[in-house]
Amino acid sequence: MKKYWKDIESKKSKEELKGIKQTSDENSLSGLLSDQRKDIPASRRDFLKLCGFSFAVSALASCQSKIGKAIPYVIAPNELTPGEALYYASSYISGNDYCSIIVKTRDGRPIKIEGNPESGITRGGTTARVQASVLDLYDGSRFHGPLKDGISTGWESMDKEICSKLQKIVEEKGAIVLLTPTIFSPSTEAVITGFLNKFKGSEWVQYDAISYSAILEANKISFGKQLIPDYRFDKADLIVSIGADFLGTWLSPIEYTKQFSSRRDPEHDMNWLIQMESNLSLTGSNSDNRIQIKPSQEPAILLNIYKHIIKAVENRNIDTPASLVDVSEISEKLLLSAGKSLVISGSNVKQVQLLVNEINRLLGNIGHTILFDSFLKTHAALESNMEMLIGKMKKGAVNALLVWNVNPVYTWYKRDDFAEGLKKVGLTVSLSGSPDETNSLVQYICPDHHYLESWNDAEPKKEFFSLMQPAISQIFDTRQMADTLLKWSGSTIQSYDFIKAYWVNNLMSRQSEFSDPVTFFDHTLQKGTFEPATSTVERGGKIRSVGTISFDPYSIKTVDNDGKNIVEIVLYETIALGEGRQANNPWLQELPDPVTKICWDNYVSISPAQAKEYNLNDSDILNLGEVELPVHIQPGQAYGTMGIALGYGRSKCGKVGDRVGIDVWRMLSSDKGNIVYTSKPEHIIKTGRIYPFAQTQTHHSMEGRAFVRETGLKEFKNNPSAGNEMHAFNLEHNKSLYKERKYPHHHWGMAIDLSKCTGCANCVIACQAENNVPVVGKEEVHRVHEMHWMRIDRYYTGEEDNPEVVFQPVLCQHCQNAPCENVCPVAATNHSSEGLNQMIYNRCFGTRYCNNNCPYKVRRFNWFNYSAAGTLTGNLRDVEGMTGDLRRMVLNPDVTVRAQGVIEKCSFCVQRIQAAKLKAKYENRALLENEIQTACSQSCPANAIVFGDMNDKQSELNRLITSGRRYNLLEELFTMPSVNYLTKIKNKIV
Amino acid sequence: MCMYFQAGEIKYLLTLIFLSFIIAPAMPNSHQVTDTIKVQKKDTAKVQVKDTSKIQGKDTAKVQVNDTTKVQKKDTANLQVKDTLKHQLPDSIIYKQTTFSAEELMRGERLFYGLVYLEKKSVNCVGCHNTSVSDTLNWNPDALEISRKYLNKNAFDLSKILLKPLGKKMKEVHKGFQLTSEDIVLIKAYMNKFVDIGIKQNKPVITNLLLLIIASVLFLLSTIDLIIRRIFKNRRVNWVIITLTGIFITWVLAVNAIAFGRAKGYSPAQPIKFSHAVHAGQNKTDCNYCHYTAKISKTAGIPPGSVCMNCHLLVRNGTRSGATEIAKVVGAFEANKPVEWIRIYKLPDFVFFSHEQHVSAGEINCEACHGKVKEMNRLYQVPDLSMGWCIDCHKTRKVNLSNEYYKTYYSDLYDSLKAGKIDSVMVTGIGGRDCGECHY
Repeated sequence: MKKYWKDIESKKSKEELKGIKQTSDENSLSGLLSDQRKDIPASRRDFLKLCGFSFAVSALASCQSKIGKAIPYVIAPNELTPGEALYYASSYISGNDYCSIIVKTRDGRPIKIEGNPESGITRGGTTARVQASVLDLYDGSRFHGPLKDGISTGWESMDKEICSKLQKIVEEKGAIVLLTPTIFSPSTEAVITGFLNKFKGSEWVQYDAISYSAILEANKISFGKQLIPDYRFDKADLIVSIGADFLGTWLSPIEYTKQFSSRRDPEHDMNWLIQMESNLSLTGSNSDNRIQIKPSQEPAILLNIYKHIIKAVENRNIDTPASLVDVSEISEKLLLSAGKSLVISGSNVKQVQLLVNEINRLLGNIGHTILFDSFLKTHAALESNMEMLIGKMKKGAVNALLVWNVNPVYTWYKRDDFAEGLKKVGLTVSLSGSPDETNSLVQYICPDHHYLESWNDAEPKKEFFSLMQPAISQIFDTRQMADTLLKWSGSTIQSYDFIKAYWVNNLMSRQSEFSDPVTFFDHTLQKGTFEPATSTVERGGKIRSVGTISFDPYSIKTVDNDGKNIVEIVLYETIALGEGRQANNPWLQELPDPVTKICWDNYVSISPAQAKEYNLNDSDILNLGEVELPVHIQPGQAYGTMGIALGYGRSKCGKVGDRVGIDVWRMLSSDKGNIVYTSKPEHIIKTGRIYPFAQTQTHHSMEGRAFVRETGLKEFKNNPSAGNEMHAFNLEHNKSLYKERKYPHHHWGMAIDLSKCTGCANCVIACQAENNVPVVGKEEVHRVHEMHWMRIDRYYTGEEDNPEVVFQPVLCQHCQNAPCENVCPVAATNHSSEGLNQMIYNRCFGTRYCNNNCPYKVRRFNWFNYSAAGTLTGNLRDVEGMTGDLRRMVLNPDVTVRAQGVIEKCSFCVQRIQAAKLKAKYENRALLENEIQTACSQSCPANAIVFGDMNDKQSELNRLITSGRRYNLLEELFTMPSVNYLTKIKNKIV
Repeated sequence: MCMYFQAGEIKYLLTLIFLSFIIAPAMPNSHQVTDTIKVQKKDTAKVQVKDTSKIQGKDTAKVQVNDTTKVQKKDTANLQVKDTLKHQLPDSIIYKQTTFSAEELMRGERLFYGLVYLEKKSVNCVGCHNTSVSDTLNWNPDALEISRKYLNKNAFDLSKILLKPLGKKMKEVHKGFQLTSEDIVLIKAYMNKFVDIGIKQNKPVITNLLLLIIASVLFLLSTIDLIIRRIFKNRRVNWVIITLTGIFITWVLAVNAIAFGRAKGYSPAQPIKFSHAVHAGQNKTDCNYCHYTAKISKTAGIPPGSVCMNCHLLVRNGTRSGATEIAKVVGAFEANKPVEWIRIYKLPDFVFFSHEQHVSAGEINCEACHGKVKEMNRLYQVPDLSMGWCIDCHKTRKVNLSNEYYKTYYSDLYDSLKAGKIDSVMVTGIGGRDCGECHY
């Protein structure tokens, strides 16, 4: 068996460890008690006083019974049944991110986002960011109403003032500029066009913080189309990705994860992923082969691949500089799967993208795995436009600037230029809904709705339409951006009517099902998406003629790849925060990064070899010139590179996100008109100071047991239970003192396919939203008090410098021989007749014996009153403001909000089981297939989690748990879990 | 010796008090409002005494008045003088009077309590309009409600309702009132005080608590005496006292501990005097007409104002309550304000009860839990809503297994039921005792 290790500390031998001083005493009792109160002199008298007081308070609090009120509606809305959930199909749009969603509302409040299975793009998947977006709705730091120079004012006076100013600018032939991210909503585009027509001489600039301009420009040169094509990962047998984290953050990760994992079923045709990258990304962690490179080596590698391929296809010889990576084998494999392969690059260098285009063209992938007819519309901005705008602004040639949902003062590489230019603009208006660095500098703020309060539509991919509808009436005195622009354009129409008219006029003719506009619109609204059947989009593998390629491989500049001396910095987006738009979201801030398992911070990732060279330990603070950042030693980080996450260090986003991490956007630079996401440190100096991380990684080590079982595709083909031989052995040898329990009616269970799971952490946030899991804050995570019911364990295997990575979602295993149940002195945790391991909060009195006895460490203890559910206010610990009235609106009323002093854990979403059972009884029928979906399984973008009744022999779950790949976590303990794992199958060249 | 004697006295005294308190609950409770006439007498007596003392202190400090009758005499004399003056004034001016002397207020009070004879007939307001909180449903608005309603209105508005009543019930009662405009002004002036002081709350019954304290004292004394043997030479007496008081203390503690946090019989006064007996009983309105989500949702729902208006758009006069109570419903609806009812049935946050589950799937009728609501004028909580009460029902209630759901998943039970192997399946047989069915 392979040796798995979770972090570098645990890989070291015990002797080595003895030498390391225990740096953190936070886990010890003395650390816990001392807290930050060391400076406060507390005597025994104080303690007794407090004791007496708390007794008195509790006695008083319990004697007084509150008088509750029952307040009905005056006129009840027709569609609303108090106490029952109502679902709305909608769309999530945040900058360039898109997801088709279903919003669950209870009594008028959105409380949960689910994936919309009707969508042809996201197909029911979501990301952690989509899941967390519902919490942004209840963010008190959003603008509460229109502001003029920071002073609150009314919409009417605001409209009048701005309109007259704009009119004056038009009369004086001045320039009005509207600055937005890429707009992929057809109706918003029409609204903006109307605005531009009304104010002659106005201009519209699109700007994306994370730029894909190199792909756009390269495609313009290569194929005559300035578009981002539709990459079809489901059609590719071989994927070679050079630094593109397409499962995590690149372009359209939900769609790509769905496609990619649909090809990770070893019983069918498995694909093969080769990842070459510097940082250990999510995609790299899931690759079959991972090659560590420095960003500067990319051109040389691609040139060498190109050399091999052009030799084979066109029989031409070209000279190339030598590549440090031997690519001959990869080239061979690419040629073998010509037309069924995909080469992509995450680089924003035009030459690199041109090379990628040329390779794909030679391989015949265009029209097969790269489609141009159903192109992606979410990213279309070019930096050149922004550079031009800033130039004009600095010259004072811009008289009015309207900004919506972009934050160049934070994300633009030359932010000071932008800020300086902004001062010279006569009229500055922000239409964004929440505060940021840019709109802190503008005169007028006309706040936009949150997307859950808005009407909108989207066309993220050509001919894939969807609608956005409000799931709640506006919370603050905000107005939708489209409405604001319509009003200023002199239109009296509201955005809802505008969208409806747009759809009826432009899209209704694409279908023949409905002839009545009202029915057509209502039906589409209910479904959420509209993907016309009469679409002109080619969805098959038809080869398209490609424009002439004007690419000269000799023009590519290969940087001297003498990696020993130069350290290169790779700036990347994290899964949780991306470009930092949702930085004020405590759920996302507390989401551990899938690979590093650190939350509430960014850091410098460096390779273990490099750390040794510089004599660095984890948490040492490094000075890199402009910035100082703590070090995280990351196995698998390419030697000679450093990874730093963008999106942190916000200064004006709100209480939660401000000053979390370090802002490194200034490290970006521009090369030939494209922003480059790499940099070089001025110097690397160890400061000698230490910065402790909040990391969920090191609390328990593997101790050499087979948590994750893994095998190669070849071995699996020979033996379906390859790598899982001990399962049969364990089944045979396990004996229990207890009588075997029978579950004749329902027996709920779960199967998690480790081959499919990418570790994207969507399930963690989905669970948090569904089950009212509290946020504890950085300090508490540091003291290993995090509360997530669902966690994703990450294990490394192989060499420290070049490890392979496996992910394993771990939740309560709902054991049939549950060790926790036997030790509870008050039977607060016990077994149900349907195989659930129940946790009864009102019975629990906090001995934590169960926690101690659980071999999976899935039980969480409420050390403090995190959720304000307890009667004693003194123990409230809510550093992130999650117990305010507004934030609490996100709570699910079907799940108890746990008070201090009780254990909690995954319940298999028993509230959903109960609801589905009741619905079946009410409708006098059996349960439908997949009717019960837990929060984690519903929105899994990889379809890795399957929930169901293990007694149902026809179910998908039963097919999985009877396969040879099935095993249980720590099955040698004979706990008989109801959660089953399927062996991870890797498709690697051995 | 002296000590011994005193202790001996205490012995008899304590036993006496103890016995008297045991007998006390058996006698008619003096706090209970049983008869309106009684209240009237009691209240008038109290108020008179209290107010005269006030007058003594404030206005007529110089005049030493020791007898209430004297004050009355003086008052009437004064008022007579004033009356003659006022008779020349038109009503519209009289109604505008805003400041009142103590004597005038006194007369207002006497009018309210029916102590003034008007045309050989005494009319009292307090008989119908309570000045203290009532335990039962009193259809008529209490003094506070009226005073609130007319606080910012002219006395003329009050006179309309007094002299030309509208509702059927009011017409009957207010028939032939011979109140002059001055009197109405004074009644209103007096009643304004209720806005400030409110109406009297019922004092909590403390008999049990007193008994518990006395029993505890007795228990302690006897225990001490058992050791030092000062009072009773015969230990058996002490043993008897200790046993009796011990049983009593344990009983009180146990009963109270079990009832702790439970609210069986809870029957708060609602903002509107709504009677289920009238609506569900006499008018035979189906429960589901108002509580229309009981079959389809977790909550049965409190009917929105619009549902009330379905009937009360036309029905504006109740047989017993007159127009006042219905006017509140209509007024709230027209003002677009919800009625804030006091919640009676309330489960803790960690219990998830679904009406749909019990009413639709379990086919239980409403009375099983809510009791004979059709006979309740003022609604009260019938069960104690304890977990034992839930489980008891789950243990004894049969499940109708003919539902397709049960046929699919509980086929074993369904088959043996059909074959006659078992006679019934209780709710506990299908998981009705799993903690996770209700707690999650």
